Amino acid sequence: MSYQQNNTYTSRRQQNWSRNQNTTRFVSAVKLGPVAHTILIALMITVLGLIYLTQATRATSYDYASQKIQTEIADLNDQKADLEIENARLTALETIKNSSVAREMTAPASTEYVE
Amino acid sequence: MNLDLIKGSRSKILAAAVLLIAGIFVVRLFYLQVIQHEHYVALAQEEQQDISTIPASRGLIYAKDGTAPVQLVMNQKVYTVVADPKVIKEAQKAQLIASLREIAGGNVRTGFEALLDQEGSRYAILATKLSRLQAEKLKEKEFYGVVYQATTQRVYPEGALAGQVLGFVNAAGQGNYGVEGYLNEELKGIDGSLKTVTDVSKVPLTIGEDNVRIPAQDGKNVVLSLDRNVQAKVEGALAAGLQRTGATYGSAVVMDPKTGKVMAMANLPTYNPAEYNKVEDAAIFNNGAISAPYEPGSVLKTYTLAAGIDKGVVKASDTYNNTDSIMIGDNYIVGNATKGQTGIITFQHALTWSLNTGFVTIAQRLGDGNSVNRTARDAMYDYFHDKFRLGEPTGIELSNESAGSVISPDEEQGNAVRYATMSFGQGLNTTVLQVAAGFSAIVNGGDYYKPTIIDGYMTNEGFKQNATPSPVQKGVISKSTSDQVVQATHEARASSFGRTDKPGYYIGGKTGTAQVGVPGGYSDTETIASYLGYGGGDQMEYVIMVELSGKDKVLGGAQDALPVFTDISNWMIDYLKIQPKG
Repeated sequence: MSYQQNNTYTSRRQQNWSRNQNTTRFVSAVKLGPVAHTILIALMITVLGLIYLTQATRATSYDYASQKIQTEIADLNDQKADLEIENARLTALETIKNSSVAREMTAPASTEYVE
Repeated sequence: MNLDLIKGSRSKILAAAVLLIAGIFVVRLFYLQVIQHEHYVALAQEEQQDISTIPASRGLIYAKDGTAPVQLVMNQKVYTVVADPKVIKEAQKAQLIASLREIAGGNVRTGFEALLDQEGSRYAILATKLSRLQAEKLKEKEFYGVVYQATTQRVYPEGALAGQVLGFVNAAGQGNYGVEGYLNEELKGIDGSLKTVTDVSKVPLTIGEDNVRIPAQDGKNVVLSLDRNVQAKVEGALAAGLQRTGATYGSAVVMDPKTGKVMAMANLPTYNPAEYNKVEDAAIFNNGAISAPYEPGSVLKTYTLAAGIDKGVVKASDTYNNTDSIMIGDNYIVGNATKGQTGIITFQHALTWSLNTGFVTIAQRLGDGNSVNRTARDAMYDYFHDKFRLGEPTGIELSNESAGSVISPDEEQGNAVRYATMSFGQGLNTTVLQVAAGFSAIVNGGDYYKPTIIDGYMTNEGFKQNATPSPVQKGVISKSTSDQVVQATHEARASSFGRTDKPGYYIGGKTGTAQVGVPGGYSDTETIASYLGYGGGDQMEYVIMVELSGKDKVLGGAQDALPVFTDISNWMIDYLKIQPKG
C-alpha cells in the first residue's frame, strides 16, 4: 500500500490545525468497492459472532465448574449431617446409660454442700 | 442487475413464481416470527428452561441438657432404590440382588427379587431409607436401569424420648401432633425455586435473561424447655410406677413454677416417632397430659383451700365439726373416704386426711356458711376458672390441647351439688397440665404463668433464648395466701409421707383419688390416682403432677401416684443441685 503526497496548500484559517503542526495530509489511493465492503462487514460480523460464542461457551464451562462445586458442597453437607447424627446417637442418654463407664458408677452415699 | 425478460416467457413466469413463493415465505415468516412471537418464545423456554424447587430444610428440634441445647429431632438424607425391570438385563439381575442383600441389608423390600421379574412394570421400589454410604456403595456398581431417589427423613437420636411431645412428620412432610403439628408452619420453612436455562442433563446454565433464583427459607430450629435428663427420669419413674401398680395409663408433668416452663411431660403408653407408621392405635399419638381431661379429685382441695384463705373465710388452723358426712341440699350427702377423724378438727387436719367434708365446708363458707349458694359458686368459679384457668386451654405450644370444662354457676348444671363436689375435685374436667399450671400460681406467690414448652431458637449465631416469661396474670391470690397453702401442703405431706423425702428440703403436695364418671354416676371398680406437689430449698424449684389410671383399676393417690412423685422429686433435688433450706 502506498501513499501520495498532496502538495495543495491550505491556509490556516481554512483548517483546524494549530501552530507548528504538520499541515500535510496523506490520502489513501486504495478504493474499496461495494463487494469488498460487504465482505468486510460479513467478516466483522463473523468475528464478533465468534467472540460472542467463545464467551458464551466459556461462561457455560464456568457453569459446569460451579455445578461441580455445588455438588461437592452438597455432598460435604450431607456428610456433615450424617456425622452430626452419629454424634447425637453416640451422646444419647440411652447410649451413655449402657456404656461401660456408666455401669461402673455408683450413687454417692451422702452429699455435702459448700457454704 | 437489470433482467429484461420477454413478456409471457417461461422465465418471466418462473420469476413471478419465485417472487410469489418468496412472498409467501415472507408472509409466513412474518406470521411465525412477529405475530406468533410470544407463543414460540414460550415453547422454546419450555424446552430450554427448567423450573426446579429448592426445598427448604425442616427446622431441627432441640431439648436442653442443663442449660445447653441438644438435638432431639434431626434431618437425614436417605435414598430409595428404584429399578426399571424392563431395561435391566437378565445377566445383571443376580448381581443386583446379591449387592442389595449385601449392602442394603434390612432396608430391602420384602420380595424385591420378584419385582425385578415383572417386566411389564417400569417402576419397582427395591429398597428404602438407605444411608448415604449404602447408596454410594451401590452407585459404584453402576447398575443399568437403577436410580437412587434422595429424600429427607426425621431422625430421633434419643429414640422414643418425649415422643408424644414431639409428634411426627408424615410422608407428605406435614407435622402431626405435638410440637411438629403445632409449629408446622414455623418448622417447615418456605421452599425456594430456580428458573434457569439448562443443558440436556438439567445442569443450570447462566446464559439466558430470564433466570430467577429464589433462595429457600429453612425452617426455624426450635429449642424446647424440656430437659432431656428430667424427661428421661420422668419417663422412667412413670414406667416403674405403672409396673408397680398395674396401671395401664400414666401422665406426668414437671414445670418451673417461677416461669411456667415445662421441664418434662410424659405419658405412657407412648411411641417412637421414627416408627409412627407402626402404631396400631392412633390414640397413642395423643399427649394425655394436655388432651385427656378427667376429674382430678382431691388434688384440687389445694385450690379450694387457696380460694377460702384468699377470700378470708378460713385459715388452715380454723376448725369445723367433722361428722364424716355433710348434707348438700335436701337429698345429697357427701361422705369422707377416710372415716373416724370426727369431731372439731382443723382444716389442716382435713387436708392431711383428705376429708371431703372439710372442703365442702370451705365452699359453704365462701357463701353464707350453710350452703353452697350462688355467692359461693360465683367465688369458686372465679378462682377455679378465671384465676387458676381450669376448663380453658392453657395455650401451650402443642397440638390437640383440650379445654376440659368447669360448668358456670349461670348454667342449670352449675348447682350447689356440683360445686360441693368441685370443692374436692369432682364434677369438673381438667387436664394434668391445667392442674399443674394453676397449682404453680398457688405456690409461687400468686402469679399465673402460661405453660410454655418453647425456650428459644437456635440460629447461626447460636442459642437465642426467649425473654424470661412474664405472668399473664399477677396476684391471682395474695402472697400471704400462697405462703399459707404452701405451709399447709408441706405439713400434709410431712405428717404422713415426709420420711420418704430428702431431709432439709421443702417438699409439699396433695394426694388425689378420683372417682371415674360413668353413665348415671361413678364407677365402683375404677379410680384414678394423682399426686400434685412441689419442691425446692429456699425457693420453689419445681411442681410435679402425676396421674395413673387403668381400666377397672382401683388406684390410690397415696399408695400409687405418690411414690412416683417422690422418686422424681428426690432425683430433681440432686439434678438441680438444690441446697437445703436455710
